[in-house]
Amino acid sequence: MSLEKKFQKYTAELNKAANDKNIEVALSRAVKSYRSNTKAALERHPHTVQMAEEVIELKKESIKRMKELVDQARESIELNKGKTYFAKTREDALQLTSDIIGTKKIVVKGKSILAEELEVREYLIEKGNEVWETDLGEFILQLRNERPMHIVSPSIHVPREQVAEVFTEFFGRPIEPDIAKEVAAVKEFLRDKYFNADIGMSGSNVVAADTGAMVIIENEGNARICTAVPPVHVVLVGIEKVVPTFQDAMKVSEVTWRYANYTVPGYVNIISGPSKTGDIEKVTTYGAHGPAEIHVIFVDNGRSNMAGEDLFKQGLHCLRCGGCMYECPVFQQVAGHFGFRYLGGIGAIWTAFVAGGLDNAAPLIYNCLRCGRCVERCPVKIDVPSMITELRKRIVALGYSG
Amino acid sequence: MINHNISPKDFMLPQSVEVIRGNINKYGNPLALKGSEIASWARELNLPLQGEDYLFYTGGEYQLIPYIDSLVQAMTMMDQGSKVFSLMMGMRNLIDKTGISAEKLYASVLARDRERYNKISYKAASILKELGLNFYYLGERELYSGALLYELGFWDDLKIHAQKVVSLINETGAKTIICLSPHSAEVFKLVYPKLIDDFNVEVRTFVDMVSELLTAEKKLNLSGFSGKVVIHDSCRMARELGITEEIRSILSKFEGITMVEAEQNGKWTTCCGGPCKILFPDISGRIASYRVKELEETGAELIITFCPYCMAALDKGIDSKKSTLQLEDFIEFLYRGIA
Repeated sequence: MSLEKKFQKYTAELNKAANDKNIEVALSRAVKSYRSNTKAALERHPHTVQMAEEVIELKKESIKRMKELVDQARESIELNKGKTYFAKTREDALQLTSDIIGTKKIVVKGKSILAEELEVREYLIEKGNEVWETDLGEFILQLRNERPMHIVSPSIHVPREQVAEVFTEFFGRPIEPDIAKEVAAVKEFLRDKYFNADIGMSGSNVVAADTGAMVIIENEGNARICTAVPPVHVVLVGIEKVVPTFQDAMKVSEVTWRYANYTVPGYVNIISGPSKTGDIEKVTTYGAHGPAEIHVIFVDNGRSNMAGEDLFKQGLHCLRCGGCMYECPVFQQVAGHFGFRYLGGIGAIWTAFVAGGLDNAAPLIYNCLRCGRCVERCPVKIDVPSMITELRKRIVALGYSG
Repeated sequence: MINHNISPKDFMLPQSVEVIRGNINKYGNPLALKGSEIASWARELNLPLQGEDYLFYTGGEYQLIPYIDSLVQAMTMMDQGSKVFSLMMGMRNLIDKTGISAEKLYASVLARDRERYNKISYKAASILKELGLNFYYLGERELYSGALLYELGFWDDLKIHAQKVVSLINETGAKTIICLSPHSAEVFKLVYPKLIDDFNVEVRTFVDMVSELLTAEKKLNLSGFSGKVVIHDSCRMARELGITEEIRSILSKFEGITMVEAEQNGKWTTCCGGPCKILFPDISGRIASYRVKELEETGAELIITFCPYCMAALDKGIDSKKSTLQLEDFIEFLYRGIA
C-alpha cells in the first residue's frame, strides 16, 4: 500500500472517529477530570515537579547505560531464582513467550502496552490458549475486538450503555447499564479464571537493575491477582524500563502515577522473583502461595535503534503516564485513532521505531500539529515537535530522493 | 535505523503537499501568487525599498490567508484519490504551460476577505510608522519564508529557498527583520541558522517590536472598542518564541477593555488546528471549533490573535459554530486607534 493510500485510509478512520459522539463526550469529560485531578495531585505533592527533573537525569543515564543495566537486572532476577530472556525482535519475544506458555493453557493478563505492541494476546490465542485481559478497560476492548484508545484508560471511548450491550451478549444474561453491576459481573467472571489459570502475565512500569525489583502500578488489583495466584508468572518488559537502583525505581514510579493524575495509585506491586518460604527448617521452597516460576522477557524490538540516535533517545524516557494525550488537540477530537499501536505525538515516534515502521507512522507524523503542548505537560519534557520535524525530513528524503 | 514496509518509490506524500511545495519552489510562495499581488497593500504608503536597520517582513502570509482556505475548501470537497482531484492538481501543469494566472484558480475568494487580509500588512506598517520607527520593505521582491517547506519536511528545497531569501535580505544590509507572522519568525530565528552560515540578522516579531516602541511618550489610542477581549496565543509565539506577556501588557493599558483569559492560555494555549489543515482539513476544522468554544467560555466578545494561520483557522471555527464572537488580529485592533 502506497503512503498516499495509507494517508487516505487513516484520514477516513480519523474523520469517522471525529464524528463519534461517544468519543466527543468521553474525551471532554476525561480531559476535564485529568486536568483537575493532576492539578490537585501536584498541589498536594508539590515535590513531584522537582522529582520529575531528577527523573529526566536518571532516565538519560539509564538509556546511556541501557545494555549494561539490562544485563545487571537479569543477573539480579536470576539471583532471585527468576528466569530471564532477551528478545531482539517482536518475533523473538513472541517465540519466547510461546515456548514458556505452550498451548491449551489459561492465561490471565494485566494491562501492558508492550503486549499491545507485540500483539501477544492474539498470538497466544492462535497457539491454542485461552487468554483473558483482566484490566476492566482491556477486558471490554477484548470483547469488542478493539484496540486501546488511551494508554492509561484504554476503553475511554465506551460509555456504560455500550458496555452493558457487549456484556449482555457475552455473559448470556441481561446486564444493566449500571457501572457497579458491570464491574461486579466482570469480577465474578474473572475470579474463576484467576484460580484456574496456568499463567499470569504482566508488564512492568520500571525495573531496578540492582535488585531486579519490578514495579507494576495499578488501581484495580487485577495485576496483583494475576501476578500472585497462577503458578507461573511471565513478565514482558521493554529494555528502556530499567533504572540503576531500587530508589530510582521508586522515583520513576511516583512521577509516573502523579502525572497520570493520581496522588497515589490503589496498588503498587513490587515483584523480584518467585514466591518462596523458608518457614520449615529454613529450607527455601518456591511457590509458597504465589507462582513457583517467574519468567522475565526483556524486549528490544527497535528500542536500541532509538537509543542510538541523539535526537530520538529521549523518546525512551517516556513514562507512559498518558498526560500528553489529554493535552493533545488532535487526541481530544479522535482519541487513540491518532495512533497506531502507540498513541499521540510520542506514539508517532514509537510507531516509527518500534511498532509499525515509518510508513505506518507517516500519517501520524503529519497529523501532529507540532503545537508543543505535550511538552509542557510531559514530566520529562520529551521534545516531540523536534522529533516529528526530523521524521518528516526522513520521509521526504526517502520518497523524493530519486 | 528506522524500518519501513513499503518501497521508497511509494513514499510520496498526498498530492496536496506537492501543490504547496511546487508553488513555493516555482513561484516563491505556497499559492503561486504574484509578487505584485502580495505587495499591493503597500502602494499608497511609499515605503522605502532600501534602508539600513529595520526590514519590515510580511512574507506574504496574511495576504495568502484567503487563498489557502479556498484551496483547502476545494480539497475538502474532493476525495483526494479521485480522478477529479488528480485533474484539479493537474491544472497546475496546465497553468505552467499556458500561462493562465494562478489567481484564477482561486477566483472563489471573496473580495472582502482579500481586502481584509491584504490590509493587515498595511495596518502593521502604519502602526510602526505611527510609533516613529524607520523601516523599509522589499515590495514585490519580498519572498515567503519557506515555513511550510520546513513544516512538511522538504529541507533540500528549504535550503535552496532560504539561500534566495537570505541573499535578498543580506543584500539590503538589514540588521533586524520584523516579522508579522510567528511562523516566519520561527523559521528565520530557529531554522535558517541551521541551514545558512551567513544569516546574522536579529529576528523580531511585530508584537515584541511594538511592545518595545510603546513608551511613556509614545502611545497608541484605542478608539471604537469597549468590552471584553480574550487573547488567543499562537503556539509558535507562546511556546517556541516565548512571547506571551508583551501583548497582555500592551492591551491592559487601553481604557475600555476588560481582558479575560481562557483557561488554556499563554504557554498552555490550545492550537487552532491550522498546522494540519493541508492534509487533514476536517480535523483541522474541528480543532478550530473546539478552540473557539474554549474562548467563548470566557464570556469575551472579541478574540484577539496574532498569527495569520490562527486567524484563518479561528475565523472558520467561528463560522462553523455560528458563534457570535468577533475576531481581530492584534494588528487590526491596534490600528483602530490610528484610523
